[in-house]
Amino acid sequence: MRKKILLVEDEKNLCLLYKEELKEAGYSVTAVLDAESALESIKKQSFDLIITDIRMPGKDGIELITRVMAMRKDVPIIINTAYQSYKNDFMTWAADAYVVKSSSMAELKAKIKELIG
Amino acid sequence: MSELRKDIINGRWVILASERSKRPDDFRPAQSTPEGPPSGFCPFCQGSESKTPPEVFALRKPGSRRDRPGWRVRVVPNKFPALNRGLPPERQEDGIFQWMDGIGVHEVIIENPDHGKEIFDLPLSQVQDVLDTYRRRTDSIEDEFQYKYVHVFKNKGREAGASLSHPHSQIVATPIIPKGVNEELYSCERLHRLYGECIFCRIIRDEIRRGDRLVMDDEDFCVVTPFAPRFPFELRIYPKRHSPWYSTITRRESASLAKTLKAVLLKQKKVLADPPFNYYLHQGPNPNLPHEAWVNLEKSYHWHMEIIPVLTRVAGFEWGTDFYINPVTPETAAGFLRE
Repeated sequence: MRKKILLVEDEKNLCLLYKEELKEAGYSVTAVLDAESALESIKKQSFDLIITDIRMPGKDGIELITRVMAMRKDVPIIINTAYQSYKNDFMTWAADAYVVKSSSMAELKAKIKELIG
Repeated sequence: MSELRKDIINGRWVILASERSKRPDDFRPAQSTPEGPPSGFCPFCQGSESKTPPEVFALRKPGSRRDRPGWRVRVVPNKFPALNRGLPPERQEDGIFQWMDGIGVHEVIIENPDHGKEIFDLPLSQVQDVLDTYRRRTDSIEDEFQYKYVHVFKNKGREAGASLSHPHSQIVATPIIPKGVNEELYSCERLHRLYGECIFCRIIRDEIRRGDRLVMDDEDFCVVTPFAPRFPFELRIYPKRHSPWYSTITRRESASLAKTLKAVLLKQKKVLADPPFNYYLHQGPNPNLPHEAWVNLEKSYHWHMEIIPVLTRVAGFEWGTDFYINPVTPETAAGFLRE
């Protein structure tokens, strides 16, 4: 059974790239472009892991984490952002990992493996 | 690992957090920061203990387990600290440039398990728990001599720098004595020589005698608006017993400070419509260090608490000159707060 990942990334090309890479790595990936769609997906089905960007139009990733954690504390969350400064926000503590985007996906993949195998 | 660098011109050290992909727009406007419950999740609420780093200290119900519910005050290391614990950093130099590794302590004090209760909403015994935790953590951190200065502070409200509304304070212990503190210590040494007594003891006596800047006064503490405040409604809480170090506070004084702090914060809330605020302790450097630089430190310095409601913005004039324009006189502010 493939592990199910919800990917929240507002940058379309990047979203597609991550989706393809993670599929190739053996995961089932639902990719959405904003937090509202992510919340809709979470209501409809369960996921083994959520990967979210922070800076997005509409609700940002921090707000998404707040809402997800209020519904399902048990789902691991990875913050995948280009920015370090969100570490100053205590809500990011709720996430299980904080990955700074880079040209390589190695760190992100390693964190995913660590959290859900 | 972050790095401390010294500005050779003004002697100020700054902490540069190690960041891999800093961008020019790498900050977020404060208004987009969510504040957590009542509707959402908060990592500081009771039941979310697994979402913080393991606690380093807690006041708990007898029989309750570490990193589980049952605590009254809980202290955890900052998950993404500005400074990291370590061995004493070596000061490095290359010509005119000086720097050192960012060694230090960065902890978060979760003041109570209830998200909606600010420090001024708590019963006095719980306010005292928080104050007692400040003392115990300061004491414990000062056992390690590489931490030269322990700074205890609280940011309440987004405009005051808090990213989460669950009431919390923070402790940052630094491997150097911050410039502002250093200047205060030196100034107190000079004034001690000039007046033959601790300048704070003198201020307390004079303010009580005059009374026009006095907001509260009891056996152990007095609250005043300082003579030359940088900000409107800036406040100082002075202990009447002279000591450079907060950690010397007695149990009775701690109970008295809890009463004073709660009362003054409630006054501030009422008069200024629940403003965001910062408060912090100013105290002497780690007492376990030799104090060659401050011969009379024990006699000349006097710990105290400063409270700054965030009512104005520090802007170009203040940044450029370190010279403040305050639209409210301290006498007027004290009058409002006494009413």
